[in-house]
Amino acid sequence: MEIGGIDLVIVIAYLAAIPFFGFYFKKYVKTEKDYFLAGKMLPWWVISMSIIGTNIGAYDYMGAAGGAYRFGIAQAHYEWIGAVPAIVLSALLFVPYYWKAGVYTVPEFLGKRYNTAVRVIEALLWGTFLACVLGVFFWAAGLMLNEYLGIPVELSLIITAVIVGIYTITGGLAAVAMTDVVQLLVMFIGGVALTVLGLWTVGGWSGLVDKIAPANPDHFKLFLPLDNPTYPWLGMIFGLALVLSPAWWCCHQAIIQRTLGARSEWDAKAGMMFAAFPKMFIPVLVVLPGLLALALNPNLAGPEMDKAFPWLIKNLLPTGLAGLVFAAFMAALISSVDSTLNSAATLWTRDIYQRFFVKKASDKHYLKVGRILTLVFVLWAILFAPITKKFPGIYVAMQTLLSIFQGPTFAITLLGIYWKRANQWGGLFGLLGGVSISASLFFFTDWSFLYIAWWSFVGALLITVIVSLLTKPDPVEKLEGLVYGLVIKDKSIQDALKKRAEIDQEV
Amino acid sequence: MYEWLKSIPLFWGKIIAVVLFAGIVIWAWFRPKEYIYKEAPDKRWWRDLRIWTTVLLALQIIIYLSF
Repeated sequence: MEIGGIDLVIVIAYLAAIPFFGFYFKKYVKTEKDYFLAGKMLPWWVISMSIIGTNIGAYDYMGAAGGAYRFGIAQAHYEWIGAVPAIVLSALLFVPYYWKAGVYTVPEFLGKRYNTAVRVIEALLWGTFLACVLGVFFWAAGLMLNEYLGIPVELSLIITAVIVGIYTITGGLAAVAMTDVVQLLVMFIGGVALTVLGLWTVGGWSGLVDKIAPANPDHFKLFLPLDNPTYPWLGMIFGLALVLSPAWWCCHQAIIQRTLGARSEWDAKAGMMFAAFPKMFIPVLVVLPGLLALALNPNLAGPEMDKAFPWLIKNLLPTGLAGLVFAAFMAALISSVDSTLNSAATLWTRDIYQRFFVKKASDKHYLKVGRILTLVFVLWAILFAPITKKFPGIYVAMQTLLSIFQGPTFAITLLGIYWKRANQWGGLFGLLGGVSISASLFFFTDWSFLYIAWWSFVGALLITVIVSLLTKPDPVEKLEGLVYGLVIKDKSIQDALKKRAEIDQEV
Repeated sequence: MYEWLKSIPLFWGKIIAVVLFAGIVIWAWFRPKEYIYKEAPDKRWWRDLRIWTTVLLALQIIIYLSF
C-alpha cells in the first residue's frame, strides 16, 4: 500500500521538519551535561511528553492492536495497571534519589550505592540491549518507508539515519526531548483521528460492543482466566503490576534519563508523574483500533491478526488522513529511536569509556566522545538492521533477556534506596542470584515470563537481604544522599554529595 | 496449587487492583508536604503531587470497576 498526493506531502513535510526543529537546539550544547542531561534545564511538561514519546514505539501500535484483536481490552493492562501505579511510585520513590545523586545513568547510581561490579553488569546489559534494539527499530522504519512510500529498504535506512542522526548527534537530550514533544502531539492527532473515524463508522461505542460482544464475550473484560496464555489475571497483577512495570518505569535508562535532566527536583518528580496522564489514554490510540478492526473485519486469523492496524489504515482512512496517521506511526518510531540512541551513547560514555578508558579528561573531550558514539550507534544500526531480518526472533530474544534481568534489578534498586543495611555484596549477589533464578526458570520450565519475573524478584530480594545481613554493613558516609532516611537532612546531604562528586572526579 | 488458584473468582482481580490503587493514594498522602513541594517554584495547590496521584488512581479505580 503506497500513499500519494496530499498524504505524501504531509509525510514528507513532517519528516523534513523534524530534523530542522531538533537541530535548532544544537546552540544550547556546550558541555557534557548539556549534551546528556539537557543542561539540567528540562521543565516537567517536556519530560512527561518525552517519556511517553520514548515509551510508545511503532511496535506498540502493531502489537497492541493485534493483542486487542485477539483478546480484547485486557491488552490495555499494559497501559493502565502495568504503568500508572509504577509511574507514581517512580515519581515519588525513585526519581528524587536519582536526581539528588547527580548521576547520568541508573547503573551509575547502582555503582555508587553498591559497587563497580554491579554498575558494569547493569551498564553492559543496558548498553547491549539498547544497541540491539536500535537495529530492530531502524529495520522497522526502513520497512515502513518501503511499504508506504515505495523507497528501497537500504535507502530508507539511510534516510532514517539522516533524519534522526542530524539532531540527536548535534543537540543531544534537549533536541531529543523537544522533538519528542512534537512527535507525541502528532501521534495523538493521528491516533485520535483514526479512532474517531472508526467509532463513527461502527456506530459509536455501543455499536462497537454490539458487533464484538456476541461472538467474543470476554473482549470487554479486563481480567481473564488463569489459562489465558497471554493475560492470566494473577500474572497481570504479580508479574506485570508489581515487578515488570516498576522495573521498567523505575530503572529503564531511556525513561529515567529525561528526569535526570530536570531543572529542579519538583520538575523531575512532576515530569515523571504527569507522564501517567497521556499514558492512560494510549489505549485509545493502540488498543481501540484493534477492536475497531475486529468489528469491521472479524476474518483476520493467525499472524494476520497482528496486521489489524495496517488493515484499518488501508481500509478506513480517506485521503489526507492516511498521511496524518502514517506520520503518527513514524513519530512513534522516531521518538523511540532518538531516545534509544541518546541513552546508549550516555551509557557507553559514562559507565564504560569514562570509567575504564579515559578517567580524567576535559568536559569538551567527553562531549566529543558522546557525539562520536552517537554517530557510531547510527552507523551500527544501519549495518545491524538487515541482520534483524535474518533473525526475526531477535527483538523477542532481546526483550526476554531484559525480562530476565528486570526483576533482580528492581529488587536491588528498591532495597538500595529503602534499606540502608543492604550492602555491596548483598547487591551483587542479589543481582547475580536473581538472574540465575530467572534464567533457570526460563530454560527449565514453561512458565509465563510474568511468573518468572515475580519469582526472580522475590529471590533477588531474599538473597540481597541474607547476604547483606551476613556481611559487613557499608559505611554511612558511602550511603548519604543515596538512601531513604539519609537524605532528608539536606545540608549534610548536599555536603556529602559534593564530597563524593569531588572524589569521583579524582578517581 | 494451580487448580486451587484457578478456582479463585475473577472478581478478586478487581478487588486486588482497587486495593492496590487505593493503597498508593493513601501512601502518597503520608508523604510530607515539604518533600512533595521540594524545589517547586511556588506552593500552589495544583503543584501538590498528592492531588495528581489521587486523580490518576481515582481514574484507574473507575476504569477497573467498569470493565
